Amino acid sequence: MNRIVQGMSITEVLKDMRAADGYYVTNTARDLSQSDFKNRILLHTDLLAAKAREKANYFSLEITGGASVHVDILRKQVDPFLKLKLLREKMPNTMFQTLCRGVNLFGYRPYPPNVIRLTVREFAKYVDVWRVFDFLNHIPNMQAVFEEVQKAGKILEPSICFSTGPEHTDDYYVKKVGEILDVTGDEILLCIKNHGGLGTPKRIGDLVKAIKDRYPDIVIHYHGHNTDGNDIGRITAAVVNGAKIVDAADHAFTGYFGPPPILSVLQTLKDYGHHAVGVDEEAVIETSEVLRNERRHYEYFESQFKGFLPTVQIHKLPGGAMGSSFEQAVKGGFLDKMPEILHDELPKVQRELGNYWSVTPGSQILWTTAVSNVHDGRYENCSGDLKNLLLGQYGPFPFYRPDDWIYEKAFGPDWQKILEKEGGVEEIEDIDIDRERTVLQERLGHEPTAQQLVTYLQHPNDAVNFFKFEEEFGQTYVLPPSIFLKHGGFALGETIEFTDHNGKDHSIEIGPQQKDADGETSIYLNVDYHQRVYTMAAEVTDAGAVKVEVLSKEEIEELASIGDVRAPFSSNVCQIDVEANQEVAVGDQLVVLEAMKMQTPVLAQVAGTVQKISAKIGDALKPGDKLLKIATKDDKAAD
Amino acid sequence: MVANRGEIALRIIRAIQELGHTSVAIYETPDSAALHIRVADEAVWIGNGPRKDYLSIETIIKAAKSHGVDAIHPGYGFLAENPDFPKACEEAGIIFIGPPYEVIRDLGDKVMARKIMADAGIPMVPGTDNLPVGEEGVKVALEFSAKYKYPIMLKATAGGGGRGIRLIENDGQLREQLPLARSEAKAAFNNDNVYIEKVVIKPKHVEVQIMADKFGTTVHLGTRDCSIQRRNQKLVEIAPSMIEDTDLLDRICETAVQAAKAANYFNAGTVEFLVDRDYNFYFMEINTRIQVEHTVTEMITGIDLVRTQIKLALGMKLSFTQDDVKLRGHAIEMRINAEDPQNNFMPEGGKTVSVYRSPGGYGVRLDGFVYQGFTIPEVYDSLLVKLTVFGFSWNETVDRLRRCLRNYNITGPKTTIPFYLNIVDDPDFQKGDFDTSYLDTHPHLFEYKVDSSEVSKLAKLIAEIHYKKENPYAI
Repeated sequence: MNRIVQGMSITEVLKDMRAADGYYVTNTARDLSQSDFKNRILLHTDLLAAKAREKANYFSLEITGGASVHVDILRKQVDPFLKLKLLREKMPNTMFQTLCRGVNLFGYRPYPPNVIRLTVREFAKYVDVWRVFDFLNHIPNMQAVFEEVQKAGKILEPSICFSTGPEHTDDYYVKKVGEILDVTGDEILLCIKNHGGLGTPKRIGDLVKAIKDRYPDIVIHYHGHNTDGNDIGRITAAVVNGAKIVDAADHAFTGYFGPPPILSVLQTLKDYGHHAVGVDEEAVIETSEVLRNERRHYEYFESQFKGFLPTVQIHKLPGGAMGSSFEQAVKGGFLDKMPEILHDELPKVQRELGNYWSVTPGSQILWTTAVSNVHDGRYENCSGDLKNLLLGQYGPFPFYRPDDWIYEKAFGPDWQKILEKEGGVEEIEDIDIDRERTVLQERLGHEPTAQQLVTYLQHPNDAVNFFKFEEEFGQTYVLPPSIFLKHGGFALGETIEFTDHNGKDHSIEIGPQQKDADGETSIYLNVDYHQRVYTMAAEVTDAGAVKVEVLSKEEIEELASIGDVRAPFSSNVCQIDVEANQEVAVGDQLVVLEAMKMQTPVLAQVAGTVQKISAKIGDALKPGDKLLKIATKDDKAAD
Repeated sequence: MVANRGEIALRIIRAIQELGHTSVAIYETPDSAALHIRVADEAVWIGNGPRKDYLSIETIIKAAKSHGVDAIHPGYGFLAENPDFPKACEEAGIIFIGPPYEVIRDLGDKVMARKIMADAGIPMVPGTDNLPVGEEGVKVALEFSAKYKYPIMLKATAGGGGRGIRLIENDGQLREQLPLARSEAKAAFNNDNVYIEKVVIKPKHVEVQIMADKFGTTVHLGTRDCSIQRRNQKLVEIAPSMIEDTDLLDRICETAVQAAKAANYFNAGTVEFLVDRDYNFYFMEINTRIQVEHTVTEMITGIDLVRTQIKLALGMKLSFTQDDVKLRGHAIEMRINAEDPQNNFMPEGGKTVSVYRSPGGYGVRLDGFVYQGFTIPEVYDSLLVKLTVFGFSWNETVDRLRRCLRNYNITGPKTTIPFYLNIVDDPDFQKGDFDTSYLDTHPHLFEYKVDSSEVSKLAKLIAEIHYKKENPYAI
């Protein structure tokens, strides 16, 4: 039977799939990387696997989108477009698939319509299959992406986010599918997006059947996670009931929170009399043989906690958020509170906030709210994003609105007025893209490419940092994980060999290091048999000037009340709203901090004049780091 | 004795040593650190140069005599095609490894050469004899160009190696350039004779290696294509020619043997032809020396040309017949020069080769003379090493060539390697489709990034990962 190849239109794909006696497989490499390896699987590794993956004849390779675009530039230091281009060279036939968060694109909050359209247009040059979702299943939030994908002639795959609970009935979802078809027409693939891996095989089977009963011609793509260890069961039920495409991943890298192994899917379904169209089982095995040796280099990014979590059915955190949740718990020192957060507070918060779908950015809101509720008291410390959610700025609550007392906690006694004034989906206006280009040009010192501009429009500060990284360090994707993710330094005399972006082979031998009187360290490297010295600046300790002390939460609040505004938690500065010498009143927004993908405004506790602004946009702050100082009227009187 | 320097000196010294003879190198002061004087069994300093001592017959003969030299190989360039040199050798009782004085003289004189070939019925590009001096010469030239149409080539009779040639496109230019060409020829070659040839548009440069002993046997060793040239200087040479019509190639080879015989040729030589777009071929000239690109012929025939040259000069018979010469596979040679192709091939002499790593493996041959730490003398040519690759098929050869170019690691001077990498990736080159207009019609070959810094950028990150014990940009 003919396989689906890159370049086929949606019409051709649908025709083949409807006629096909069997099902198709999407290799969700990106989702695996995000769920079980904190999105750190490097392009180097994907390039190693490319040949065997191409041979395996998947319907598609999900290799971009989700949080990966951000992590590409933030951590993996690879251009998300270059990544696709290089993979395409090695994989001419396999469709590339993305996961797009509708109006939130590949980020965490809504983008202006013209940014959305430009971004989709640019990525559509490389991406064939567009899975689009909204965490509130609010269709208008996906519409601009729908239109651009169809305009670009690419394959549109709208999603219904799936969850469990009394409201999550077949009727609700079938109706939702109808609403989507009304907007898109019937030339689509439909994704059932089970990002938590929720429900039983029976539940998924029933849902697929209900949709197929109502829309017999629809091609369903089932996406699940294996957090409870039972996704093979759900996939089987989905295919048996008529789903045509399923998601799974290479077994050499499968973990606990991502997709299950492709090979297990093939083996299981074969016994049910369903075979995967075109899939070359030998190549599936070969891919994992190629990848097996790489996994050890990613150990640092695997979850601190090993083992399946059937408790996902209680807390419903999506696979993509599991690893990072544990990481935050370890770093934040609240690991002991995890059972309480996951099994008690999180389900409660979910019910209280409307039992919507726990997926980006909604899952981050649920998670941070639960964490904050356990630490600071229930709804005592509402994040800016939670407030936006309550105001309906992301979209309407799908089933019911949270209780009034939560609004009161979040907005104070005047909450009704605020809701009336600011409630509803925020209409975001187009931005002046030419102006953004000019700004970027100034920051880069040269004219940006169209792709650089698009990357910049997603995550401005991180993009600029990445472009500067590229200029300073070159194309580092050529370094294998054993080097790029090395922990503990290299051994003296160790030789590192690699081929650079231009195809040239190099050898770097680690030489001795030497610290001089000023604290500078010279690192000697034999680069292509030629000695070079790299000087590392002394570590900044300046113990004298600012004593590096850890301020308690109370101390930070106390300082804020006298105008010494400090960062209340580890965060990045993403916005500064005031200038030096500006008069501020109590409650004025001073800066916006971003942590754990959530933005939190810092408000003035005192009235006065802004004096010294210590923080800059993009700064990474520790709790207690200085933001700015406000001279209060009292200070002046004392003068 | 090897009366030369650089890679060809090494090449000849090796052959001398393989034959069990003692090799004597000569060198000028700027070559004091050159490899050929280390490899040779003896080395003689002949003066401060630069170049003038390598060009001094008197000095070299004196050095040869004082070292009891039996034979001299002139290499290419310098004195290789100066008829006075074999004459001086003969007078000094030293064997000259190359054709006799008269052959070099006759074939070095372009007009004389044309006459010999015309008499032997060798097809030739229409051209004139030496132009008469003054207004009479202009008249002859104008008549010629009226008959054969522009463009035409104005050539110095004593020129060669791409020098002393100018392209003329109209009468005005002709009047203007003729006296200039004359005075330039006088200055460059001490001979102000010039003549005119019709220009063959976009020809292929096809040449035939010949070898003749003193007993009347002349054989050819197949064709080479040297069409990829810059200002008539060869950059890339292949063997055999990619022309598919093997009958045509056979005819060219037979004609070359005929031409060599007509000139009473002895020892190694090259008969050069132009092949036009209709596959007509025209005799161009005979080079009376071993050529830079002889390596490609050696690769596809398996015959050591320099060894053969020496044996013939010592009076031996050719040890193989025409039937023994079998061509197998393809060979490509690229001249890796210390030059900046993006800056009009500006030489990079004076720079030190701080890193030198070269490729190896099956089908790879290197004829070079640089080593890590070597400072390239500014006063000689910029050839660092000739990379010659052999492959059973053309595709295999191109793949091997690409691999070798990528495996090179040379820091210090800029080289022609990135430019060559563009050539091997060019679809026309990959098809074997090129003529002498190749560089002019493929300007994109000059577009490449000089990314010598890429590795040092990556090394900086590795230094940081090493120092900070983790990659600060990836955590």
